[in-house]
Amino acid sequence: MWDVPLASLSMSDASIEVRDLRKRFGRTLAVDGLSFRVEPGTVTGFVGPNGAGKSTTMRSLLGLDTPDEGRALIGGRPYHALRTPLLEVGALLDAAALHPARRGRDHLRWLANSHGLPMRRVDEVLEQVGMEQAARRRAGGYSLGMRQRLGIAAALLGDPAVLLLDEPVNGLDPEGIQWIRALLRHLATEGRAILVSSHLMSELEDTADHLVVIGRGRLIADTAVADLLAAASGDRVRLRTSSRTEAMELLAREGGTVAVVDRDLLTVTGLPAERVVELLSVSRVPFAEVGAHRASLEEAYMELTRDAVEFTSTPAGTDEVNR
Amino acid sequence: MRWLGSLHAEWTKLRTLPSTWWLLAATVVLTAALGAAAASSVTTRICPTPCNADTTKLTLSGVQLSQAICLVLGALSIGAEYSTGTIRTTLTAMPGRWRVLTSKAAVLSLLTAVAGAVGVLSSLGLARLILPTPPDGALLRPATGSILILVLVTLLGLSLATLLRDTAGSITLGLGILYVVPILSHLVNSPTWQHRLQRWAPMPAGLSIQATKNLGALAIAPWPGLGVLAAYAVGLLGAGGVWFRLRDA
Repeated sequence: MWDVPLASLSMSDASIEVRDLRKRFGRTLAVDGLSFRVEPGTVTGFVGPNGAGKSTTMRSLLGLDTPDEGRALIGGRPYHALRTPLLEVGALLDAAALHPARRGRDHLRWLANSHGLPMRRVDEVLEQVGMEQAARRRAGGYSLGMRQRLGIAAALLGDPAVLLLDEPVNGLDPEGIQWIRALLRHLATEGRAILVSSHLMSELEDTADHLVVIGRGRLIADTAVADLLAAASGDRVRLRTSSRTEAMELLAREGGTVAVVDRDLLTVTGLPAERVVELLSVSRVPFAEVGAHRASLEEAYMELTRDAVEFTSTPAGTDEVNR
Repeated sequence: MRWLGSLHAEWTKLRTLPSTWWLLAATVVLTAALGAAAASSVTTRICPTPCNADTTKLTLSGVQLSQAICLVLGALSIGAEYSTGTIRTTLTAMPGRWRVLTSKAAVLSLLTAVAGAVGVLSSLGLARLILPTPPDGALLRPATGSILILVLVTLLGLSLATLLRDTAGSITLGLGILYVVPILSHLVNSPTWQHRLQRWAPMPAGLSIQATKNLGALAIAPWPGLGVLAAYAVGLLGAGGVWFRLRDA
């Protein structure tokens, strides 16, 4: 047995870069000129509906698919140029990909053997994901949540500076979702570059710092989560009041645009929060709560993709014509 | 170092599946049991002293069936990776595809060779107890040749499953190549074609390595015959490797 130093790709080189990536499967253009970059120390959410090209991009990064054009680089190098890939990139592509007759621990063992990693490391990652007991059983009896945990353990095995996780939240229970969020945040603070795909924006709330949104193989947005939320929230003010009609009349008269959200909930645009409080107090309109409106990531995403629909609907159209 | 890692990983993969051990045990038992059964069928009536029948070949006839188990073992070793999806995990850990395939081939060959040796030696040992005139003389060529048949058929299974990416399909095709072609040779009328099929079909050609008597009557000489089987196994493994390298996983 030989010892390999862990984390051979230093954290500062940790990056994921996709440049003008294009990949066609038969008549379908899965990825169409995609470019983006994931920086060290960030969790980047990779979002798009099913079939948007997320998995193809990840497979290209891992050297499983050969792109027709463009480059997919890890730490500036193509995957096949990595001497010890597990020490540089941890990947979770398909948690279901386990041989049902093999024990979970043995699955990690052969992975460790391929890089001469000590068995101690296998036990460490099993403990990290809370699978010490279950890993003694054959994988055929695992729940989806257990498979996800084992897949994450496999990704962490080589203590890599880059992580690529395809839909890791799928199948986890609420406790598991909390756990993986905390884990990803923690791993990012250690300086790793993390790309996490999801088809549900809400899964990435409070986890991702940055978002790469794609649709039909093309880039729709590449933005910091904070900027996106700020843009979607606008300067709206949330107002909770039992005297909805009075409040609406009053604020509209003073130049605000008022929208009804719920029975006792309004959003006001065009008036700062202090002014709203002042007006309501002077006119003695009762209210329970006034605050800046914060858009959810889901809302922001809907707004984003609404604009992108026209832009993304062309390629499929031309495909149909070519038939 | 990377080769050592790949060999170690493939060895761990094979040894952590119960099916590997069942299949290897079945290879040993079938080889020995069928050999013993064939040996018991020999009576002094069909084999007077001195015996003209090729008792060595008869004793090793278990290989004709146990090779099917080896075909399954070889096919499963990569076919199951495709059906479960672990092939992608394998290739992210070991991106060198030739390295993965040759490591699998090496580990499978070693395991089959050991199981084959146990099976063949048991057959010969049982034959000594059963036969009135035990096989004697040049046992080395038929014995090592029989072990090599099992190894080559395992590689044939691995090659076919790499090409087809499907366990059931590759086993069916492999059984066809091994058993159906010889049956066809009995069905064709033309003696020329019978001769050609006996010469170039992998199983009859390979089995000529077991012959110890009447060598002049063989369609193909022992070592060239085994060479034909080896050419199939290695040729298809090469084709499988090229295809494995070129395709998306």
